[in-house]
Amino acid sequence: MAVITLPYKYLERLTRTDKKTILDKVAFIGSDVERIEEDHADVEFFPDRPDLFSPEGVARAMRGYLGIETGLSVYPVKPSGISFTVDPALANIRPVLGAAVIRGVSFDDESIQSIMSLQESLHWAVGRGRSKVAIGIHDLDTVKPPFHYIASPRSRKFIPLDYTESMTMDEILNKHPKGRDYAKIVKDFPLFPLIVDKDDHVLSFPPIINGERTRVTLDTKNILLDTTGTDKRAVGVAVNIICTAMAEAGATIESVEIGGVETPTLAPAERTVSVNECSRLLGIELTASSMADLLRKMRFGAEPAGADKLKVKVPCYRADIMHDWDLFEDVAIAYGYDKIMDLAPKTFTVGKPHPVQVNAALAREAFCGLGYLEVMPFTLTSEDVLYKKMQREEKNGVLHVMHPISIENTVVRTELLPLLLEFLTLNRHRELPQRLFTVGDVVDSCLTYQQAAGVSTHPDADFSEAYVSADAVLHELSIDYTVKESADMAFIEGRRGDIIVAGKKIGVFGEIHPSVLNAFELEHSVAAFEFDLRAVPGYPVL
Amino acid sequence: MAELTQNEKRLLAILEKEKKADAPHLANLLDATPEAVVQWAHLAGDKGLATVERVVVKEFVYTDEGKAYAQNGLPETQLLRFILPGTTLADLQKHEAFKIGFGQLRKKGLVKVEGTSVTKTAGASTDADEAAIRNPSDADPKTKELIKRGILLESETVRYAIAITPAGLALVKQGLDLRGETGTLTRDQIISGEWKNANFRKYDVSKLPKKAYPGKIHPYQRIIAEMREILLEMGFTELYGGIVQQSYWNFDALFQPQDHPAREMQDTFYLRETLPLPKGYEKVKAMHECGGETSSTGWGGVWKEEKAEQCVLRTHTTSVSIQYLASNPNPPVKAFCIGRVYRRETIDTTHLAEFEQLEGIVMDEGVTFGNLLGILREFYHRMGFEGVRFKPSYYPYTEPSLDAEVYVEGIGWIEMGGAGIFREEVTAPLGINYPVLAWGLGVSRIAMLRLGLKDLRYLHKSDVAFLRETPALRHTKGGI
Repeated sequence: MAVITLPYKYLERLTRTDKKTILDKVAFIGSDVERIEEDHADVEFFPDRPDLFSPEGVARAMRGYLGIETGLSVYPVKPSGISFTVDPALANIRPVLGAAVIRGVSFDDESIQSIMSLQESLHWAVGRGRSKVAIGIHDLDTVKPPFHYIASPRSRKFIPLDYTESMTMDEILNKHPKGRDYAKIVKDFPLFPLIVDKDDHVLSFPPIINGERTRVTLDTKNILLDTTGTDKRAVGVAVNIICTAMAEAGATIESVEIGGVETPTLAPAERTVSVNECSRLLGIELTASSMADLLRKMRFGAEPAGADKLKVKVPCYRADIMHDWDLFEDVAIAYGYDKIMDLAPKTFTVGKPHPVQVNAALAREAFCGLGYLEVMPFTLTSEDVLYKKMQREEKNGVLHVMHPISIENTVVRTELLPLLLEFLTLNRHRELPQRLFTVGDVVDSCLTYQQAAGVSTHPDADFSEAYVSADAVLHELSIDYTVKESADMAFIEGRRGDIIVAGKKIGVFGEIHPSVLNAFELEHSVAAFEFDLRAVPGYPVL
Repeated sequence: MAELTQNEKRLLAILEKEKKADAPHLANLLDATPEAVVQWAHLAGDKGLATVERVVVKEFVYTDEGKAYAQNGLPETQLLRFILPGTTLADLQKHEAFKIGFGQLRKKGLVKVEGTSVTKTAGASTDADEAAIRNPSDADPKTKELIKRGILLESETVRYAIAITPAGLALVKQGLDLRGETGTLTRDQIISGEWKNANFRKYDVSKLPKKAYPGKIHPYQRIIAEMREILLEMGFTELYGGIVQQSYWNFDALFQPQDHPAREMQDTFYLRETLPLPKGYEKVKAMHECGGETSSTGWGGVWKEEKAEQCVLRTHTTSVSIQYLASNPNPPVKAFCIGRVYRRETIDTTHLAEFEQLEGIVMDEGVTFGNLLGILREFYHRMGFEGVRFKPSYYPYTEPSLDAEVYVEGIGWIEMGGAGIFREEVTAPLGINYPVLAWGLGVSRIAMLRLGLKDLRYLHKSDVAFLRETPALRHTKGGI
């Protein structure tokens, strides 16, 4: 999530109202106010609205929402006469380039900080950690056009930002902190992306680091923006968001020529939407003109085109508007969620429980009747608990997660009994007898189904108790079973039985083997049983 | 005053006559063991009706050897009696007491041996020794000597002197009900009618004999069951689905772009397993790439089959509800699912890598965003939350989206869950032609508030004492 710092003075000047009015309403356009400080507020905005990742963008939206200035913001763009060439060798490396000239900026420490943080937020939300989009901001007056975006040998040297000596691009990936952070995006390419000026001075090594030469300072008046990436739409959005934010701050925007095309245009996209469709989806009464007013409040251009149609101009910075319903959400926000009539739907339906849960509830009831206490262990566990401590063979169908967070969470459980023994270990200091059970999901080769298991520990827990308890629960679930001598190593030989239904083993009961008790550091005997709930007659096929 | 047991009463009755007596004596009179009598006396003592005095008595007892000597005299005494003028050593050696007795006589200087003749010394006597064996005394050095010789044993006996107090006397004077007392009511007593004459022992009602722990379901399960019940009452059908899902159903069918951060390895548990894509996946592919046949632009770029085939541990139960919708595209559908979901998070007190999610969906002709708000308000009201409000939010697969907040006394507004209408990009490729209202919430969040837990792990690694102590019925106020 992006948390944006909004300095009150700057925000009030841009919004043209007082901070209280703004902060009272800012949550209603979709945000969470995180902190209210003496001179600024920190507000979190959603990742689909990168246009709100700057005080300028927030002020623009709030002027609309508060009715101070509604409708489309128009950003004039004139050509700068500056051009870029793009090296065809970049096609498989980092093919997309966007750029713009931003003139007449006046920076102070705060506004430099603000544009840097917008840049970082965009790297995160639009740029996918710079892989999809990376943004560079340069002091235009330190370099000479035309500029060239080239695929450069890795041995090319230049002085990267925050350094005084020149380094090769390979060295930058190894030594510069930014190089180390982002090396993985480019390190496998034979050539590296590089932006140079007419005199071959380096502006930037995207997506890693700018050159020190073009550093933006408090004296910077004119900015050259470069945006490189792999996705044309995302690069365009990043350029539009930065340019319109800077324009809101008072700068003028000029386009550059890239491969014969003037960019950016900062022109809105057009969409024609149905008023009725919006009205039906939201459940509110709308006319073409009332809906147009609501959209203007959200800074869209909107003109009725017949009784049911609305021509909408979508600002160039609204990357989230992909579908008509995205506009309908803005209509709902402008209308106010609190003003929408909330009525449950009228269609009559009958509730229906799922048979898996019905059976689980019956199993729970049987265990409770025997005095067993339910526990709900985690489903992620380890081979050590599931198999090694149990003296059991690892199951073929066990699933290993590819990047476990710890050695205790490497596999999805295939049985419940080991987790109950782990529970007894956890509760060794508690009063005996302890009788615990669990009913829940296990996974075998991508198939999820349910098992039930119970353990009883106290000085007299034995085979008979395991047998009697298993029988009681199985009986309550109408499972008609026979018993065969078991070979399960988790139990003592001669004190273990396989539960057989229709010739198939569906569970086991018995007295836990002392070496398993030792492995779980348990001091009293344990009577235990577990079984597959799919043995319940009439159980649904999963 | 606590009730007297029948035995205490009997003891007091005897003591009224005896005033003060030894336990064995009283035991005799009461036809009980002295130990039992002492126990009764202590009980009466706790009530101030009797006193128990512990007396330690030292006693000397004869060993088997000593018993014979006490009767026949010490060996030296026997020899001394045997020695007459003219007795020879050889005569004396024939005496059975010679072996022990002669040494003693010599040691005590009571005999003289000259050549073969043995004579008594002047005034030779063992009277003092004989007195010591008959009346042993702590102060007598002769007694000590006899103990050393293994003739006498010193033993300590504890005796209890039991006496009645004035309060005890007064109570007896008032009269005691001395009829036989019934502890456990027997079958015989019940069927014979003997119970009519029975004097039921009265128990101390202020003392719980022992804690009993019933078997019961987990308090967290109880909260899940409550939510289930509410949704069933509201006419929803329950769903159950797999923990392991294809990325296709977990992400792609929900229009989550393939490069979305939530799909990365650091946020989602991936498995090595893959599953073939279902029929008609091409429509989902087209939706991602260009918006299919809807007004959407799609995400652009190239949608990759391999990415969609990969299995994950489901990150939400929406993967279950979307499959249900795809196979049940005819309205109305009202369904819910409560199940474990997985996020690759570092585990701490408020974050778990696995937790329960509740999700509801409503698909019907003409359902609106307003209906969604209505369902949510109804659900939270039934959960006990009076104040419910909604605010704009963002979820990749819903539009419009919202967050529901409930008001909790003493805490304020708390975010409870997200909701929205499934994007057309989600429903259109699956052949779902009506709006789908969807909402979800973290069940553990409510559990944490309700059970007052500081650490979420406690739900799954519970202390048995906590489970035993948490009652089935908890009084909730304002939902908590």
